[in-house]
Amino acid sequence: MISRTKFIGAVEIGTSKVSVLIGELTQGRTLHIIGVGECQSRGVIKGAVADFKAASEATHSALMAAEQSAGTRIDEVYLAQTGGHLDGFYNEAAVNVSAADNMVGAPDIDTVCRLAKAKNLPEGRMVVHHLRRPFRLDGRNVPDPEHLVGQRLEAGYWTVHGTENKIADNIHVIRGFNVRVAELILSSLASGTILACAEDKQNGVLVIDVGAGTTDFVLYRDGCAQLTGVVPVGGGHLTNDLSLGLRVTEGQAEKLKLRFGRGTVLTKDRAEKVWLNGDFAIGDRQFPRHTIEQITAARTNEIFEVVRKKLGTAFSPEKTAAGVILTGGTAKLPGIDEAAARVFGVHARLGEAPGWVAENLRDPGFSSVLGLLQYGLSSRTDLAAPKRRARATSWMGKFFANA
Amino acid sequence: MSQSSFNPPSTRTWRDIPQPVAQRRILGPEGKKRLTMAIGNIVGLVLVLGAGAWGVYEFVSIWETDPARITAPTKGVPIRDFAVRTDGVLDKGWVQRTLALPKTASLMELDLVDLKRRLEESGQVSKAVIERRFPDVLVVTLQERTPVARVMARIGDAAPVAFMVSRDGMVYSASGYEAEMAEFLPFIDGVRLVREGFGFERIEGMDAVADLLGTAQASAPELYRSFKIVSLARFGLDRTLAVKSTEVEVITFGSSQDSFYRQLARLDYILQETRNQVNAGQLKSVNLAIGDKQVPILFDPAGGGRDASSAPASSTLRPAQPSGTALFSPLPRNSSSTKRDF
Repeated sequence: MISRTKFIGAVEIGTSKVSVLIGELTQGRTLHIIGVGECQSRGVIKGAVADFKAASEATHSALMAAEQSAGTRIDEVYLAQTGGHLDGFYNEAAVNVSAADNMVGAPDIDTVCRLAKAKNLPEGRMVVHHLRRPFRLDGRNVPDPEHLVGQRLEAGYWTVHGTENKIADNIHVIRGFNVRVAELILSSLASGTILACAEDKQNGVLVIDVGAGTTDFVLYRDGCAQLTGVVPVGGGHLTNDLSLGLRVTEGQAEKLKLRFGRGTVLTKDRAEKVWLNGDFAIGDRQFPRHTIEQITAARTNEIFEVVRKKLGTAFSPEKTAAGVILTGGTAKLPGIDEAAARVFGVHARLGEAPGWVAENLRDPGFSSVLGLLQYGLSSRTDLAAPKRRARATSWMGKFFANA
Repeated sequence: MSQSSFNPPSTRTWRDIPQPVAQRRILGPEGKKRLTMAIGNIVGLVLVLGAGAWGVYEFVSIWETDPARITAPTKGVPIRDFAVRTDGVLDKGWVQRTLALPKTASLMELDLVDLKRRLEESGQVSKAVIERRFPDVLVVTLQERTPVARVMARIGDAAPVAFMVSRDGMVYSASGYEAEMAEFLPFIDGVRLVREGFGFERIEGMDAVADLLGTAQASAPELYRSFKIVSLARFGLDRTLAVKSTEVEVITFGSSQDSFYRQLARLDYILQETRNQVNAGQLKSVNLAIGDKQVPILFDPAGGGRDASSAPASSTLRPAQPSGTALFSPLPRNSSSTKRDF
């Protein structure tokens, strides 16, 4: 029973930075963001912990900064999970409604859900999420089949799973701060929760979170998450491409990317040059702007192509009426929405946090951690509701059965 | 197979990853600090709770044993009854009269020390124990003195009154004794009573008197009943007791040389022999304090019309001189009665 104020830490251990938000959860229903902490990430490659000590130090620094900012201590953590090791599959099951009058009861729902989730995973893999798609009763989609009349009840789950060791590494980094991980949430789901409204999800929307090391995506349709995925390519690859193509250091390439990089090529004048630093000091040199845009646009286009390929037949522009929502640090790249629209063939836009989010947290880099808090809060509410219902039905069922 | 009985394979989820409370291997410096603080908080909380519990216990304890609180609820309940336990003859009425408590007095208002003093001042009570039995009963346990003898005393200009004397020399006004028992007690003579407070100073030598009278009462009741006065006049000088009985005017007992039992046996024998001799006369004095060799006996020449010279030859007791004085020598252990000599 949630009956007191809890301080929840939303943590995203990214490839380039660690972001922490602290939310004050009151009575399990109301959430106020009271603290924020950020730190440059170390020891993380493509969203997976490669150097435990370095990753721990960076994460703990961000956690401490957030705690100092909030003036309180974190009780538990909602942790974002990403990484190329994550994968997913769809599994569904069907049952015949057991009641003589064909009215769907709670046992039917429990059974079909249990069957749909029952699938063995390969050795060393473990489930991160079971994302349920809408129930189908005699072929029609229903959000809640209980008390409806029908003969055949179907349920399907998109199961997200990952490598046990990599998930455990992520959790152990947080445990090293002596805080419990209460929820492990897919980064793309977290971003989608905060950026896509219910209408978008109902109409169909693709949310793509382009980070530094990975690109996470989630496809919503009929109000539910249909498919998720992670591509181990991100903004860091743009930097790397620039570094190789222009023969500059990683730091210089990062600067060029942030100042002149684009998702699409805009510059027509191939002779236009831009300065590396612009201070005319020794070592400062010029690069063709068209080349920079060409490199970044090519890689951006490639990322979206990979995503489109991974989505496969699940994605169709007709069933994605709400278009594509872009977020993540790399989403700040100018013209990236145009690139996405060109690849997916639907309208693309940059995600905007809801109005209640403070100005300093509206940066696309915070959408995941904001979504963590919202997703964790909503999942807690969802978890609480069936328990109450189950208790009520069992008690009241007995009462009316005896009457 | 029914749908509900189907048991699908269990898949491991991230929640199966153990998150022990303090896995020191993975704890960073900040984590260790947090763990230490968490332990400190728990210890502090336990201490605070412990201190709170102790405080509550102390408060309740003080509250329960607070005299003011105990007094308060019992203040309005007057004493309903007295429970008197005694090894003597005093009764509840005597206790009530002696204590003379107000009718509205409650248990907690009583000064038990003062009440005890009041009871023990009577003299008849050697020890008194007073207890409160809540809510309204006063329990009085008495240990009484046993009277050994009587003594006549005059207080001021009043007529002489008989007081009881106990073994420890306490002189007190008797209460509750049967008249028959009191009449048999011999009087004490040869002492000077000195006032002390509401009573008298204790009489010295009463333990010897008590031994004598107790031995007489137990072994020779007839003799005991004949004792009328016991004089302590010479007790301070030679530790002798002079007894006036109905048969002998003065019987002198020694308290230090011989046991009272043997002295009483001799006296009994002498009296028996005297009764058997027709002309022996009235015994005036018997001195048993000399020792076991001889017993000086003095006859009253004018008493009884008996003539000492008319005693039979076989008699073992006769006056040796014209004045009527005789010496009684007890028989040696192996000698026959015919060899006894006076």
